[in-house]
Amino acid sequence: MRSSAVLRRHHRAIRAATAAGCACALPAALSVSTVLVATATAHAQTVATITPLLSPDRLGATGALSFTIQYADSAANIPPPMRRSILRFPAGLTLEVPRLSSCSVSRLRARGADGCPADSMLGRGHALIEAQVGSQTIAENVSLWVFLGPLHNLAPTVEILGQGYTPYDERVVLSGTMLPAGGPYGEALSLSIPPISTLPLEPDASIVTFSLTIGAPVQHRAHDANTVRLPAICPQGGFPFAAEFTYADGSSGSSVTTVPCP
Amino acid sequence: MPDRAARAWIAAAAPIVCASLIFTSGVALASPTQTLTLGAGFTPNELGAPTNLSTTMTFASSAGLPDPVSDVVAYGPAGLSVQVRGVATCERAKLEADGPSGCPAESRVGFGGGVGVFDLAGLPVKEPYTLDFFLAPQEHGHLAILIYVDAVNPVAVQFVLTAREVHGPRPYGFGLAVEVPPVSTVPGAGNASVESSFASLGGANIAYYQTIHGKRTLVHIKGLVAPATCPAGGFPFEVIVTFADGSTSTANYSSPCPSGRP
Repeated sequence: MRSSAVLRRHHRAIRAATAAGCACALPAALSVSTVLVATATAHAQTVATITPLLSPDRLGATGALSFTIQYADSAANIPPPMRRSILRFPAGLTLEVPRLSSCSVSRLRARGADGCPADSMLGRGHALIEAQVGSQTIAENVSLWVFLGPLHNLAPTVEILGQGYTPYDERVVLSGTMLPAGGPYGEALSLSIPPISTLPLEPDASIVTFSLTIGAPVQHRAHDANTVRLPAICPQGGFPFAAEFTYADGSSGSSVTTVPCP
Repeated sequence: MPDRAARAWIAAAAPIVCASLIFTSGVALASPTQTLTLGAGFTPNELGAPTNLSTTMTFASSAGLPDPVSDVVAYGPAGLSVQVRGVATCERAKLEADGPSGCPAESRVGFGGGVGVFDLAGLPVKEPYTLDFFLAPQEHGHLAILIYVDAVNPVAVQFVLTAREVHGPRPYGFGLAVEVPPVSTVPGAGNASVESSFASLGGANIAYYQTIHGKRTLVHIKGLVAPATCPAGGFPFEVIVTFADGSTSTANYSSPCPSGRP
């Protein structure tokens, strides 16, 4: 009973936000003709680069937002593990969820992507993780699925399932909360990244690249698929994106970039 | 009848390399001057389940630096088994010639490291090292594991050890025996000793893609399998170290039984 009530409130809140055009301003959209890349120094050695991509590049259109984050460390083979990230998206970018459905962390952990309602999936992606064990750098490709999570303190949440298969058959869930962001941004995704363990006595793995696509271009999606809507107006200088990162070694960094207006 | 293959792993776990940490550690004074401390633990700590064995070992001497090690024999609890189906093997000559990158990724069975030390003009010089474990072809029906020792700074030292399957008296079972050659450092300095060593062998979630009947299939490696029963007092481990001067030191350790066990 209580769960149902919470879910109904959740749905109402999402509907209201969507109708108001300020919903989960996950990133949205478009185009691509030109994409700027920004880099920033996280601490003395770690550099993070974010590359957003909006498709199609038409104001107010529904489509997909893709973004890639690359980490590199000039002093070590592998960047330090990341613990928290805040991604800021341009004002007016909204997530549209025609059929509200969510998936919980516990369900994702227990059943994987197939255990969640198809309607709750927001996007897909992939990551590359690496760890230094013994004298070797061990790499693993990880598939990512993004799901709408249950409301948290009335704020929309997302759950990102990471599933690697070899050499370690392991899954992790990253939990994020959508929060209001100050201008020129609309909303921010605050993401917690749990330790990605390898073997006992060996260091945790680090994310080297992380790439997600939310929504899909109109020609590639069902009529009621979850998607993103681009802002109706584009600020001078382009759509702004920003990211902040906190690493396991205590260091932090940030990165900003813009996507040119259509 | 326990899997023969199993024997090798445990042995590998305990040897010089070994032992562990995780829980409390046991200390043994086997000779007036050499102190050996051993620890070990299974992750996950579940009866009869594929597992990782992590071990740590520390050396100390009342006379200053520990003596160089010449032999290590380590035993794990009876019932510990190794199932190497799906694990590739690496030839010693290949490992010596090309280093770890010369071995198939599917032949890796563990990692480790530690700190070595040598005397230079009366001053102790410490040097970190890493260990990479590879399954070798069987020797006379017994399992063998290659251990690639790699130290870089201040003295570059790389060599390969072979851990051979042995069988210990009750309450022990499978074990490994390793001969350690004298490790020279720089002219005028003493041979290297071991100050500390750790190893992390096997894992509960190791998997590799293999082509089976023409189809690419994800194969899970059982590897090290914890005993199906736990004796009162915990899983027993023992390591016997022989030093260059002919003296020996023995350390014992009991790793706690899984929750709810004695």
